[in-house]
Amino acid sequence: MIQKKVCMLGGFSVGKTSLVKRFVTGQFSDKYHTTIGVKIDQKSMCVNDTELLLVLWDVYGEDDFQKVRASYLQGSAGYLLVIDGTRKETLEVARQLHAMAMQSMGPVPYALVINKHDLRESWQVDPEMYEDLASNACLVLQSSAKTGECVELAFAELAKQLLKV
Amino acid sequence: MMGVEALYPEILNIFEALIVEVESATQYRNLSALPRWYPASFSADRSSIDPREFVQSSFFLQCFLYEAEEFWQSHDHGKLQSGLWTEPALMGDESYLEATALVEMGQRFLIVQRYEPAMVTIQPVLQTARDNQLAHGQELEVRKHVEAQLGAQLAESEQIRDDVMAVLDHLQLATVMIDENQVVTYASPAVFQLFACDPHSFVGELWTHALPLKADQCRLVQEQMALPEIHRSPVAVSLQKQKKSWREVEVEVHEDPRDQRRTILFWKDRTEVEDLRRQLIGHAHFEKLIGKSPAMQDLYQRVQEIAPVDVSVLIQGETGTGKELVAQALHQLSERKDKPFVAVNCAGLTDSLLGSQLFGHKRGAFTGATSDHEGFFEAAEGGMLFLDEIGDMPLATQTTLLRVLQEGEIMRLGESRPRKVDVRVLAATHQNLQEMVEKGDFRSDLLYRIRVARLQLPAVRERREDIPLLSEAFLGQARVVTKKPEVSDIAPDAMQALLRYPWPGNVRELKSSFDYALIHCHGTHIQLTDLPPEICGTSASLVSVRASPRNERQDILSALQEANGKRAQAAKLLGMSRSTFYRRLSDLAISPEEQST
Repeated sequence: MIQKKVCMLGGFSVGKTSLVKRFVTGQFSDKYHTTIGVKIDQKSMCVNDTELLLVLWDVYGEDDFQKVRASYLQGSAGYLLVIDGTRKETLEVARQLHAMAMQSMGPVPYALVINKHDLRESWQVDPEMYEDLASNACLVLQSSAKTGECVELAFAELAKQLLKV
Repeated sequence: MMGVEALYPEILNIFEALIVEVESATQYRNLSALPRWYPASFSADRSSIDPREFVQSSFFLQCFLYEAEEFWQSHDHGKLQSGLWTEPALMGDESYLEATALVEMGQRFLIVQRYEPAMVTIQPVLQTARDNQLAHGQELEVRKHVEAQLGAQLAESEQIRDDVMAVLDHLQLATVMIDENQVVTYASPAVFQLFACDPHSFVGELWTHALPLKADQCRLVQEQMALPEIHRSPVAVSLQKQKKSWREVEVEVHEDPRDQRRTILFWKDRTEVEDLRRQLIGHAHFEKLIGKSPAMQDLYQRVQEIAPVDVSVLIQGETGTGKELVAQALHQLSERKDKPFVAVNCAGLTDSLLGSQLFGHKRGAFTGATSDHEGFFEAAEGGMLFLDEIGDMPLATQTTLLRVLQEGEIMRLGESRPRKVDVRVLAATHQNLQEMVEKGDFRSDLLYRIRVARLQLPAVRERREDIPLLSEAFLGQARVVTKKPEVSDIAPDAMQALLRYPWPGNVRELKSSFDYALIHCHGTHIQLTDLPPEICGTSASLVSVRASPRNERQDILSALQEANGKRAQAAKLLGMSRSTFYRRLSDLAISPEEQST
């Protein structure tokens, strides 16, 4: 079985852990539980008749308290860059992490995920605000870990891209 | 007793860590006892551990070893820590692991430690910090949202306020708001224009101090403020603006609908309205003159211009056009208004008699002069002398008058001492004096002297639009004279007849026609048949008949008979001025005896 390391990158509380949990277990919890360090999850899936094991590195959210270690990103085949649609300041964190990922991993596939689409009325970001991040992404999705909207799709589409590399 | 070195394994075991010497990329040597957390799936035989299986099963450790390899190769001693991670598939739970790569004396070691979630003390601290940060962010968003809403509401309120201010300003509606302590809390821009005051002097001041009102004006407004709203009425006050123009202002007192302790004062500038009203009234009734036709408006204007200029005035106009009223108006509008106005009719008087009347005489100056007599010139000292029918003045008297006008002196008949007089002369005539000059009946030099200013009065037929207004006035006067207050109006056909009639006797004839009509009127409206026959058309030939000297002579004699010989009353009955009447008496050679019979 092919294994692919995929990092979840984004500011704190953008929903990385929730997206992974929704994808891996199909569950969701409204309670925010900050991630310490890295949490390794894995899920096998079949993509175009190919068995693939996605090893998901849910890297802690970056902020002033925790800076992401570049070494965590090494060996990653791709990543999900997650933005909280209700907090436009998470855009800037995403930009910094994207730059770090580009430096550590090179030009690997990544999906830009604007999460918390269930709170659309409170969104502070518009497509033109993340146009730069979206331009090179293999996929741009508006997702909701809470409702499951586009979660499976995000991982599946990224997985397809990983297999193309 | 054991050596210290022998204790090392025991000490290492206390840390419950997996301690491995990395001999090569594939050869690990376990240095410690099996930690209790070590997954059972990798330790079927707990007496012998092969850590490779564990390391190779951990995705995280595999990655860390790449990093550690670089570290080991580049360092002789030191350590590299992996940071915490969780790997449920490896551990079967959410416990935290942390790996440390050690190098000492060229020997490489890998240490893996396990922490219960409760032991990761940074977690609650970080959780709290981030929760607070999120809460703060949400609070900021809520605040921004509220601020945006308040900003929008404020902008809307300001827009409404600006609109109201603009409307108030456009309407020139000066508005002052007063609180329960009588202090001005707001004043619209129009207030500042109205009072010509510094805007800053209003707000925060007692309104009675801030507004330039007199004490009695403040009292009037305060009286209204004390009344219930429904009983209040506007207060009219006159304001002097910067000691210049006066403003006529109406003050309305209202309660503030939001707070009845507060008061709103509306100040309505009615100056223009009052001016227009005055103009309207003034132009319809100028002094004792009536009429608002363009011809009369022009006359009023000229009278106002001429009156203050202390020169002689010649008033020309047909009989009955109101020449004496114009003379009185000139007197009233001049600086001589508090001095005498003496009117003299020059018609029908002999040279000596007129000279005596005008200039006075000394006792014994002529037969019958039994005492000294002051003439009209002296009687009019400081004021005005109105010489009516000056065209009928004998030539000798004209000569004397000219000298008086030139010298400013008179000499009583029989006296040789001149007397200084200060009299402004107004002269009037229905005749064409220029033609009389050409015929030698009037002195040209006197004409030039008396017509420094000239006024031409329009005939009624030249201002027919004034007939309704004149009719209304004369109806009112006749109502009083005839004691018929019930007569309130004129029937349309009667008014049509009045409008058609040529009015040769002008205003005087019109006035006497109403005296006639009221006598004959038996209802509330003057009917066509109530009017004199020459007007209502029942004796259309009367005017022409009257025009013949024989019938005119008979009319005059009849009128004298009806008036018991009183010439003034007879003249009135005929719609003539006294001067015309006297002139006709002279023209028709009606003797005093005939007049008295």
